[in-house]
Amino acid sequence: MKLRAVISAGLAGCMVFAALGIGARSWAMAHVRRWSGRPELGFVTCNHCHLQNLEKIAWAKPHPGHASPAGLVASPDGKKLYAALDELDEVVEIDVIAQKVARKVRVEGAPFGLAIGDSGERLFVACRDKDRVVAISTRELRMVDQAEVGDGPVAITFCKTAAGDRLVVANSNSDNASILAAEPLKEIARPRAGREPYAVAPSPDGSSVFVANRLAVPETYLSVAESELTVIDPAGGRIKKRALLHSAHLAEGAAVVPGRDWCLVPIINVRNLVPITQVANGWVMSSGLALQEANGRLTQLPLDEAHAFFADPSGIAVHPSGKIAAIASGGSDTITILDLERLACWLGKSSGEDRAEAAQDLTLSPEYVLARVPTGRNPRQLTFSPDGRILFVAERLDDSVAFLNTETWQTLGRIRMGNGGLDDPIRRGERVFTSAAHTFQRQFSCRSCHPDGAVDGLSYDFDGDGIGDNLVDNRSLKGVAGTEPLKWIGKNPTLEIQCGPRFARVLMRTDPIPDPELRDLTTFLRSQPPANWKGPRRAPLTTAQERGKAIFFATKTSAGTPIPRGRQCHTCHRPPLFTNRLLASVGSKGARDSTDMFDTPHLLGVGLSAPYLHDGRAKTLEELWTIYQTNDLHGVTSYMNKHQLNDMIEFLKTL
Amino acid sequence: MSSRPHLSRVGTALCGTVLVIAFLGACRERPLEGALVVTQAPARGARLAGKADILDRRYPPGSRVVLVSKVGAETRSLVLSPGLLAAGGPVVSPDGQRILFAGRGASEDWQIYEANLRGAKPRRITSMKGGAAMPAFINNRKIVFCSLEGTPDLYAQVDEEDPVRLTFRPQGASDPAVLRDGRILFASKWSSSNAQGLFTINNDGTELTPFALDRDGAAHVERPRESSNGRILFVARNDREAWGESVRLARPFATRERLDLPPGSCVSIEPAEDDSILACLAPAGKSSSVIARLKGGSAAQVAATFDDPAWNEIEAVPVLARTVPMGHISAVLPGKRTGTILCLDANFTRRAAGAKALPRAVRVRVLSGDAGRPQPLGEVPLQPDGSFMAEVPADQPIGFESLTAEGQVLQRIAPSIWVRPGENRTCLGCHEPYNRSPRNLRPMAVTSPPHKFGVEPRQIARGNP
Repeated sequence: MKLRAVISAGLAGCMVFAALGIGARSWAMAHVRRWSGRPELGFVTCNHCHLQNLEKIAWAKPHPGHASPAGLVASPDGKKLYAALDELDEVVEIDVIAQKVARKVRVEGAPFGLAIGDSGERLFVACRDKDRVVAISTRELRMVDQAEVGDGPVAITFCKTAAGDRLVVANSNSDNASILAAEPLKEIARPRAGREPYAVAPSPDGSSVFVANRLAVPETYLSVAESELTVIDPAGGRIKKRALLHSAHLAEGAAVVPGRDWCLVPIINVRNLVPITQVANGWVMSSGLALQEANGRLTQLPLDEAHAFFADPSGIAVHPSGKIAAIASGGSDTITILDLERLACWLGKSSGEDRAEAAQDLTLSPEYVLARVPTGRNPRQLTFSPDGRILFVAERLDDSVAFLNTETWQTLGRIRMGNGGLDDPIRRGERVFTSAAHTFQRQFSCRSCHPDGAVDGLSYDFDGDGIGDNLVDNRSLKGVAGTEPLKWIGKNPTLEIQCGPRFARVLMRTDPIPDPELRDLTTFLRSQPPANWKGPRRAPLTTAQERGKAIFFATKTSAGTPIPRGRQCHTCHRPPLFTNRLLASVGSKGARDSTDMFDTPHLLGVGLSAPYLHDGRAKTLEELWTIYQTNDLHGVTSYMNKHQLNDMIEFLKTL
Repeated sequence: MSSRPHLSRVGTALCGTVLVIAFLGACRERPLEGALVVTQAPARGARLAGKADILDRRYPPGSRVVLVSKVGAETRSLVLSPGLLAAGGPVVSPDGQRILFAGRGASEDWQIYEANLRGAKPRRITSMKGGAAMPAFINNRKIVFCSLEGTPDLYAQVDEEDPVRLTFRPQGASDPAVLRDGRILFASKWSSSNAQGLFTINNDGTELTPFALDRDGAAHVERPRESSNGRILFVARNDREAWGESVRLARPFATRERLDLPPGSCVSIEPAEDDSILACLAPAGKSSSVIARLKGGSAAQVAATFDDPAWNEIEAVPVLARTVPMGHISAVLPGKRTGTILCLDANFTRRAAGAKALPRAVRVRVLSGDAGRPQPLGEVPLQPDGSFMAEVPADQPIGFESLTAEGQVLQRIAPSIWVRPGENRTCLGCHEPYNRSPRNLRPMAVTSPPHKFGVEPRQIARGNP
């Protein structure tokens, strides 16, 4: 009797729970359909719209900084070397003779680029995260002056002009350069550069400063990428020339050759318009060098060889004699030494056709490459001592600076400022991210397409789903944590799947990244905050941005007509990540696309991730709605006038 | 009280186990320092009754593979191919623990054998109809070798699984070697010349690419090997002599070099540690060949390493652990029977300086079948930028003819390339310059689906014949 009662109660309980479960599921589906305005949706878990807390996302949590050298500069007498440690907010002074760190000074705001005045008394520091330049007295090693500049200053140079001493700063996030009077520090002009200015180099006579820009400015859809080499008169900030580097980007260094009036810019020769059917022979990209001569002639040369590649060329330095240049390849842990006299010889005998074809010729570089010198992890910046005897190399992910003998290219010594972060999975993951070791012939790294985790602004044709089909825009990895599924068609549920065997097959063309390294890599990626994340305390919105915010969250048009829930901006781009992580059709299917359902991208840092839409056809946010909007499928925007659209875009750029 | 002796016994047993494991581990790990795996042929060789194939001539009956090592001042030899009628062509595994070689038992074809370095009886690992030879390690589990029946082709095999055919050239493929970047290097005749060239493929047979020796090489190219200093070493041979050559990886079509070897015939060469070269030489006037070590690539620095007067030392391989070559995840789709060819510009071709420019091609005829009797699959019109894309049958020789509007053949590539099932293969042009990257342009041919010929691809045997 008792057993029967227990069984009956149990059965009844199960039925109640089952009924509750079925009811809850039905309610949840109805809830999702009602609030998304999409009756076709099936069951969607709650965390697509709820239970999201920015503070709990991996990238919002504090993570350890490391003594990773960014900018390097030597004192005019050659006795001191200064290194900027952006992750520790420090600048260190290294005694070159004793080969040890002598002093350090705290400089808040991620000190990144360094320059020194010709007297050696003032050190100038570009602080990437505080949008300012700081002057430091080298005698006391303390801050003596500062000035506001554009967003994300990463490089700075000093030059003497007829109008006085000048500093030129590359502002990577605001796409301009700041011209400052050196003493007292004061910004006198902020001319527009290309996209993501990243390196600056003055001519010896102070008449010009060359600004290398990291990304190509988006032009028409599927046009050849061209990044700009901006030539500025540093006296007043006037733009003298905008040279375009053909099919080139990721320029992170620039140097002028004394006596020859050449400006040298290491570049990546990108081939994103060619379907990725192979990697061999630099099919996807190869390393190169842009050479701008005083007469305006621009030649682009290969740095790689047919079976030996040197990924991610970054910093460049020219020997004081003007006979040798050194280029750091961050992805290959190598310095390439160029013989500039042999290069001049080749230029002298080459025809115009030879020069035009040079960038494609992987047999050419032995004409002018003198040596390949192995270094520590991720060499990024380098500089020669004023007497030319030592080449200093910032080995960023080893937390060290190497001293190389410029006659033998042997290592004279190494200053270790940290342990390379081997006990930190994020740092270990960054090593995987920046290394080309997992790509066929070490041709490129993750960073080659995602500079510092962001976008290269290009669209690619992967051949896994057919040649010419399903072109995809490169998506930022910054702020990627919590936004799964990944890929434009939402195929990959996790970063581990995204970066695992699939990627090895379609892009790297080697074995997959081994599991321990893959775990470190995904830990690193999840730690990357959105592109312009300034922490929880953000600047208040301007009036226009406030108006734009109201439009973004509007449920009615200006005329009071209700906007269907499924076409309100914030339904799909729901805060706090500004995505509901569902596939949606916004009328963007192209002729060669196999689907019209695409992943809803998050909008954090969207202002810095142009171009837009799944295939990158919209070069600006404006074009999303002025050119590529179809029947108000991508949110109802047809009621907006020009000012309302501008206001909304201003708001989007603050995310 | 009574548990103490019990604990003591357990402790002793544990310690003993640990010691045994440590001893076994120590015995297993280290490759033999300075040892060589050598192929020895009898100095007065027997002749095989009946018809002898190329391997029978290279490794006459009685040929054997031995381990030559030094113990103190004494040089010891250990036969690694006991029980076989003949053996040769040894290669050492990346971990330095095992070897592969071609061996022949009594009344058997040549097959691939695996052996350890302790002299145990070798294990046959292939059963190829017509025979197999010239093995190489792709990694510690996967090997590549050459078939011997009819036109030689390369096959890959994982452990005991069925071999998979990798090459489909009517001109054949032989002497595979695996480069550090994972590609398989092999020798094959050019379709338009009697000379042999060096080609590469991925380890799944995709991406056939000319590597070196542009129709100007020797009639025979043997045992190409990658050295640690960025060169490919190989033996070149014509009817009169054999010599050692090297070609630099950086500029493969421009920097060939004849090795400065002592007078006499070069039998084989092999890169060794410290950028030195092990060469088996048959000096003029001597009755047997010897092993010599070259340093700096110069005959002046040749040091005789080993010579057993009773034997001809014809191959010598150092026993070294080395980095496993890079892998390659295959994109081959075994269920598919076609692949896709995309040519970026069929009018892009290399011309000698001053040569007259060719008229522009407007279409391409795709050929299939043997080089001597090619069958046209059909014609594909070229896009205005010279590009075309076509779906072609997989795993069979494909060739091309570029044609003017009037049907004049401008360029011809006899059937000599292939695509694997599901492979997307791209070329820059027809007879285009080597080692070129493409220009960054989107070919017009990819704006529409690939051209299909409507020909049913014939079935190709891929497994163990």
